[in-house]
Amino acid sequence: MKKNKSMIVCFLLPCVLAILIVYLYPVLRTLLMSFFKIESVTSDISNWSFYGLGNYKRIFGSATFRTAMWNMFRIWLVGGIITLSIALLFAVILTSGIRFKKFFRAAIYLPNVISAVALATMWVQYVYNNDYGMLNKMLRSVGLEGVKWLGTDTKFWAMLAAFIFGAVGYYMLIFISGIERIPQDLYEAAIIDGAGIVQRFTRITMPLLKGIMKTNITFWTINSATFYLWSKMFSPVDTESSTIVPVVYLYELIFGGKSVSERDAGAGAAVGVTLAVIILLAYLVMNRVFKEDDLEF
Amino acid sequence: MKRKMVSLLLAAAMVTGLLAGCSSSSASSTSSSETSESTEETADTTEAAEETSDLADYSGVTLTYWSMWTSTEPQAEVIQQAADAFSEQTGATINIEWKGRDISSVILSALESGEDIDLFEDSDSRISQNYADYCYDLTEMAEAADYASYSYACFTETITDWAGFLACIVEQPQVGGVWYNKDIFEACGIDVPTTWEEFMDACQTMVDNGYQPLALDSAYASFNFGYHLDRYLGEDAVSELSLNGGWSDSAGAIQAAQDIIDFVNAGYLADGAPDEYPSSQNKIGLTGQVAMVVCANYVTSEVDNNSGVDTNWGMFNYPSIDGGVDPSNAYAGANCIAISSYSENAQAAFDFIMFLTTGEYDQLMADTAEQIPADPNNTAPDKLSGTVEALLDTSDPLKWNMGLTDNSDLSTGIKENVVKLFEGQYATGEEFAAAMDALY
Repeated sequence: MKKNKSMIVCFLLPCVLAILIVYLYPVLRTLLMSFFKIESVTSDISNWSFYGLGNYKRIFGSATFRTAMWNMFRIWLVGGIITLSIALLFAVILTSGIRFKKFFRAAIYLPNVISAVALATMWVQYVYNNDYGMLNKMLRSVGLEGVKWLGTDTKFWAMLAAFIFGAVGYYMLIFISGIERIPQDLYEAAIIDGAGIVQRFTRITMPLLKGIMKTNITFWTINSATFYLWSKMFSPVDTESSTIVPVVYLYELIFGGKSVSERDAGAGAAVGVTLAVIILLAYLVMNRVFKEDDLEF
Repeated sequence: MKRKMVSLLLAAAMVTGLLAGCSSSSASSTSSSETSESTEETADTTEAAEETSDLADYSGVTLTYWSMWTSTEPQAEVIQQAADAFSEQTGATINIEWKGRDISSVILSALESGEDIDLFEDSDSRISQNYADYCYDLTEMAEAADYASYSYACFTETITDWAGFLACIVEQPQVGGVWYNKDIFEACGIDVPTTWEEFMDACQTMVDNGYQPLALDSAYASFNFGYHLDRYLGEDAVSELSLNGGWSDSAGAIQAAQDIIDFVNAGYLADGAPDEYPSSQNKIGLTGQVAMVVCANYVTSEVDNNSGVDTNWGMFNYPSIDGGVDPSNAYAGANCIAISSYSENAQAAFDFIMFLTTGEYDQLMADTAEQIPADPNNTAPDKLSGTVEALLDTSDPLKWNMGLTDNSDLSTGIKENVVKLFEGQYATGEEFAAAMDALY
């Protein structure tokens, strides 16, 4: 038994140390940094000066941060509803016994395998392009005028649509795993009782997918809060209002941008802490809304 | 048994991953003394350099060089050749780590932690304003090497103003202006315009001849409008407007916006402009029907590379405005090389910088990477002809966007309004000015 304990310690120690050094220390340091005036993210603690809530006042007083938060909220709400609805629809269809299920599942998941940079480039340069883009070609082929998909008024929605295209497959797979977990006898009994496909979906599938729904919404919330790459790909040289999100704002605060040389690591840390709090709150709300213990199967 | 095998394989994979992750980054770096392939290619240049070499003996000295280029870029090819030749002549070893553009995200942390770096590259503004505390003061060494004779005063003065001392040496100068297809100008019988009226007339002539005057990607909308504002108000006044607002009270700002509205309404923007970078500028090469773009000199290489067409480029300074401010200045920026303040081999590092950025290797860099030579005694490639003179004439270079985006908290909103201006969403200059003031 004694030997076993030392073995357990030996096996656990690297993991515990790794978590403490790589995870806990940066989290605590970031939290601390958000209350100090700091120019560089790696500057020595002796160079920090206490700033109280100054960093939080700065970011919440910044029009750019408020725009970034609004964009993030729209990605979370509108993008979330569309992505999870389509993912659920595909999951239900693919688990209903259709032919070529594996092919469709792989095809819908495929965008997740492709590099997001390549995917975003494809959307920007080949789908939304004014002259030879796929969408405008389709519109012109039926006699309509082309649309400026990447104009200031439409760029955000163009970016969101492209992101949703790439995200659906991931959430669909999680839904599929949840649906396949539901015992088939429940459906068979429902069919014998005369339940139609809609009733089976609303009375069996949906209630038993509560836990999975909670997982997906939590993942989507984290995805929305950490949204970065698509924003950079849709505004490659300078950041733009229509595509800016909090992580891009954080990055520019810490590292500066093309035309911004001022850096403020303290304010950047405040953005990071704000995002972490949002994710934590979303998780707590999810736990309250989706209680898993009311149904057992 | 099967489980054990799987566990063993997974454990082996994990250990391999750990070892790979912990291995020294120098594995990816290229030791100039070990590189022999490119040495053969540059045998001629090396021999020529040897004949005139008066470099010191740096046997046993090792320099670590963090570069902003990736190893496949033409700039990297020339730097490697220069490093090889320098090693051969001085005995020094130069270890180059090709960091790419992400160097700007990591270099400050590396300098703060005292990483083994002797030389590093980044933009003149970032080095002089953000990393100056970690840069070696090159003033004395530059004076001893008569650097003033091999450099553009506008850069040296700006860098010294920002940092308080000469913090870096220019490696890749850039100059902004109107870049145009000479063939279209010739076909239309247009002389290079110097005033806004002449510019508008030239645009009308191009339209009459079936050409589209100006390409514009939204990424450079602020740069383009910043230039126009500068010609009315000057950079300081533009910066002041950006920082504190008051656009509706500025007759110059309102008129500048009105000029752009008139320009757009006259149909002088290329089809689809403002487009998504680099779609619009690419049309200069791809269609041969779009004549001009307002950008820095690298647009010529970008368009030629993207389109596969060698456009017959020319450049002129952004037109002046009647009653405006001094129109002689141009945007000028540079990528530079600095020496870390804690480098133990600063003189060797400085000698290498001079070896690379002046004379023969600078000419090779200008020709290979198709860029403006860092040494004004050298010659710019044909497509950049006139740029050396433009830089020498610039006494007070304009910064990127000419102060228009100096307000870091509002820069995205300002940019959006400027793109809308080029999209034709404002009916009058007053309407644009009101939209700008609404941001504050």
